[in-house]
Amino acid sequence: MIIVGERISVIAKRVREALIKRDPEPLKELAIQQVQAGAHYVDLSIGPAEDDGEELMDWGVKVIQSVVQAPICLDTTNPKAMRAGLKAHNNTWGMPLINSASGEQERLNTMMPLAGEFGAEIIALTLNERGIPAMAEDRCVIAAEIMGKALECGVPMENIWFDPLILPVAYQQDKCKESIRAIKMFQELNDPPMKTIVGLTNICQGAPKELKPLIIRTFLTLLMYEGLYAAIADPNDKELMAVIKTTDVLMEKKLYAHSYLEM
Amino acid sequence: MAFVVPKETYSGKIYEVTIGKGDKAVTVGGENTLPFLTFEGEVPNRPAIAYEIQDIAPDDWPATVANVYKEVSSNPVTWAKFCQDTLGAKAIALRLIGTHPDRGDASPEAAAKVVADVLAAISVPLIILGSNHIEKDGPVLKAAAEAAKDSGAVLGKAQQENYKTIVAAAAANNLRLVCMSQLDVNLAKQLNILTTQMGFDKEKILMDPMSSALGYGIEYTYSVMERIRLAALQTNDPMMQTPMIADIGANVWKAKETAADIAEWGDVAQRGITWEATTGVSMLLAGAELLVMRHPEAVAVVERTIDELMQ
Amino acid sequence: MALSGVEIFKLLPKTNCKECGVPTCLAFAMKLAAKQASLDQCPYASDEAKKVLGAAAEPPIRVVTIGTGDNAVKMGDEVVLFRHDKKFFNPTAIALAVNDDDANIDAKVAAVKNSVIERVGQFLRVNAITVIDKSGDAAKFAAVVAKVVAADIPVILHTKNAAVAEAGVKSAAGKKPMIYAADESNAEAMAGVAKAGGASLAITAKGLDALTALSEKVKGLGVDDIVLDSGARTAKEMIHDYTMIRRAAAKKNFKPLGYPVIGFACRDNAQAETAITAVGIMKYASLVVVNSIEKWQNIALFTLRQNIFTDPQVPMQVEEKIYKIGEPDANSPLMITTNFSLTYFIVAGEVENSKVPCWLAIMNNEGLSVLTAWAAGKFTAGNIAKFINEIGADKVVGHKELIIPGYVSVLSGSLEDKLGGGWKVVVGPREANQLPAFLKQKVAA
Repeated sequence: MIIVGERISVIAKRVREALIKRDPEPLKELAIQQVQAGAHYVDLSIGPAEDDGEELMDWGVKVIQSVVQAPICLDTTNPKAMRAGLKAHNNTWGMPLINSASGEQERLNTMMPLAGEFGAEIIALTLNERGIPAMAEDRCVIAAEIMGKALECGVPMENIWFDPLILPVAYQQDKCKESIRAIKMFQELNDPPMKTIVGLTNICQGAPKELKPLIIRTFLTLLMYEGLYAAIADPNDKELMAVIKTTDVLMEKKLYAHSYLEM
Repeated sequence: MAFVVPKETYSGKIYEVTIGKGDKAVTVGGENTLPFLTFEGEVPNRPAIAYEIQDIAPDDWPATVANVYKEVSSNPVTWAKFCQDTLGAKAIALRLIGTHPDRGDASPEAAAKVVADVLAAISVPLIILGSNHIEKDGPVLKAAAEAAKDSGAVLGKAQQENYKTIVAAAAANNLRLVCMSQLDVNLAKQLNILTTQMGFDKEKILMDPMSSALGYGIEYTYSVMERIRLAALQTNDPMMQTPMIADIGANVWKAKETAADIAEWGDVAQRGITWEATTGVSMLLAGAELLVMRHPEAVAVVERTIDELMQ
Repeated sequence: MALSGVEIFKLLPKTNCKECGVPTCLAFAMKLAAKQASLDQCPYASDEAKKVLGAAAEPPIRVVTIGTGDNAVKMGDEVVLFRHDKKFFNPTAIALAVNDDDANIDAKVAAVKNSVIERVGQFLRVNAITVIDKSGDAAKFAAVVAKVVAADIPVILHTKNAAVAEAGVKSAAGKKPMIYAADESNAEAMAGVAKAGGASLAITAKGLDALTALSEKVKGLGVDDIVLDSGARTAKEMIHDYTMIRRAAAKKNFKPLGYPVIGFACRDNAQAETAITAVGIMKYASLVVVNSIEKWQNIALFTLRQNIFTDPQVPMQVEEKIYKIGEPDANSPLMITTNFSLTYFIVAGEVENSKVPCWLAIMNNEGLSVLTAWAAGKFTAGNIAKFINEIGADKVVGHKELIIPGYVSVLSGSLEDKLGGGWKVVVGPREANQLPAFLKQKVAA
């Protein structure tokens, strides 16, 4: 399972302040902690950043890659900031991951060409101007449209990671299973199977704090069973990582050995 | 319909392990694809074959192979030199079978002397193998390792029940290590984990999944090896990416088919040679990068096959 | 390899009429892909859709049989690249090449006929003869083919000449010969001969692009039973080409290469030839043509073939009986173990190496190893005692001592009770490789 470490996000107070002040230390610390715990990508979420997005993204990418040898998941809706991040990215340890395009025309038409231009991987949310579809099949229809745009932009199918957009179980319990089904169906849209990703913390929004880790890791097990490729999550959540390792072994993705948890 | 070459890409790669020292050192491993599939990846090193010698004259080798060495096998040094100089061995495997309690129970000190003498007599890499007696192998291989310090030799075999002493001896004396498990992918992984948790460098290990002779379980070894290699390449599992060694001579020449004079089975000498050669070729196709063999004509057949595979 | 949901969706009417019971055609396509629905639920499916989906349901590698009756050779019908993923189904056939102007044809036909060796209850043999058109003489060729057919051996007609092939096919009428081979230059003629004569047709081209094109051409000419020769002759070419063909056919459902594969192991040296044939057996060849079938080659290759083609899920079993190892007499030791073939071979092997003649009683535990059989209740004091008494062990040995495997030492007391009649149970070693020392000590005592 591919882990995108989520902790460097404008939503977190400490990170927000560090971004405003251009203080590199909190970013460096979080990047190192996440990669050491097994994150394959580090997400850098700067928010809409309307005024200084380009410069902020450029700065953030360089700070993170000065301390960890990992690719970055560039998280912003601002296309200029996205371009700046792609330019600043050091591709030695992997191509950057654009977070994200969607089925909305404007977002698709600005982000997908960037993936083509820079050879980046790209997360694509299967929603459009009408919102998040209820049925997995209808998310597939949006996914098929996104694949069409990718072809136009010269983006290979294996660079697209579909995200069905997870809704919180506390508010939309009836949509949880459909997201899991969508993960399964996305894979069937191509051979080799399309990649998939979810932002895990969405599932527990609004639930009591003490229940959140339990909900997240149980939900992840169900998704992994249906073949989930990647998750945006907290790699420093030890129990979550233990569940991932155990599920990988149960699903025969990694060979069992008695000491598998220590690997 | 147009044909598109069905290439697989793998996320993992096999480590390169160098045995021996100087210009006769041999490097194995380094592939990033399944055995010999150079149309989709790289196979940078040719598999290597080591000739087996023993510390005592063999009394249980069938005539076909015993006769090849009858002038030299009463002395491990002459035997080693014969393999290197006359037969062109690229490596020698010295099996300290004389240390087995049922075969003479030679002491660790005696074993160490044999090791030192053989090392002094050859320039090709040396693989040092115990008698496979779980309790005796510990002290024997410890002494042998000290005698082989810094020579680039391989020490074997560490097993689940006795690995600690042997791993420590290999580490202390800067040697490579054979880790052997019993035809089980998960146990093979576990032994590598335990070994590396002791601080031993994972890139100095050779995995021995326990080889079996043709007709005597070869398909179990073959499939275990294929599964090990797939785990290494497909799941990028660092604990499975060591090269593999197939110690086949000892099993092959115990088979009835290598000694029995049965007309229906054809010429006994050719039969023994092909029994060993076919076992060897099977191991190569399953992913072995290092073979331990006995009969020079079988070695020649396998080398010729490797020539064709590595063109 | 099934079609994906999207590929199926493209073949559907896309009207979302819901008559199949599913709200949208895309959803129905997904169900079809998952084999949770069948196309006949859609009243408006086109002929094209039916054709394509029907083809997708066929085995990825066509079944082609040569010869008839007990000695028929079945090829194809393989689905995996690794035996541990399921099993390899049709053991690689071995065919001896014989020139039609060879002076020793009768001897070679006899050698193939007499090549049978029994192992673990299976009769292993050289499977076919390839008659090679060296003479250019159709009548001479046909006469040799007739000899092979008369000996009830499947035959391959090796010629580039359609007229010679036709003569050969006549000689082999009703016996399902294979013609080797059609190439770009003679495809039409050879296809005609194959179709008229009920023969399968091997096709040969250099490289898989050319082979694909030729395969489509020959299929278009009406030949369904095709066998592929990619021109691979070295070990490297064989592994590369046969791996690509197996992947394309079994993983990608690439129909033009979904056929059995014929390989050639001919070398100047029988040992080298055996090694190359072994490569073919392990790496996806359906049939390998060889120049030499010495008995020592045969036993090695038959054994390898038997080993590689066993079902990993189903253990091979040997017959239940008391086996002689060496020349035992009434005083020789009597041992018992399970009928898992590997157990038998290893134990028997170690006993032979000990040079101590023994009686080895093999009990039917459905192919389980000693510990597994014991745990499953199939190797208990009760059923061992019953077996020993019924198999007539007391007629074979004069003493009443039974050696049991070390791993079931816990049974010794109970077994002695159940055996009764003065029987004594001796616990043997746990590992087979300890048998020589154990047995030597026993007879010395």
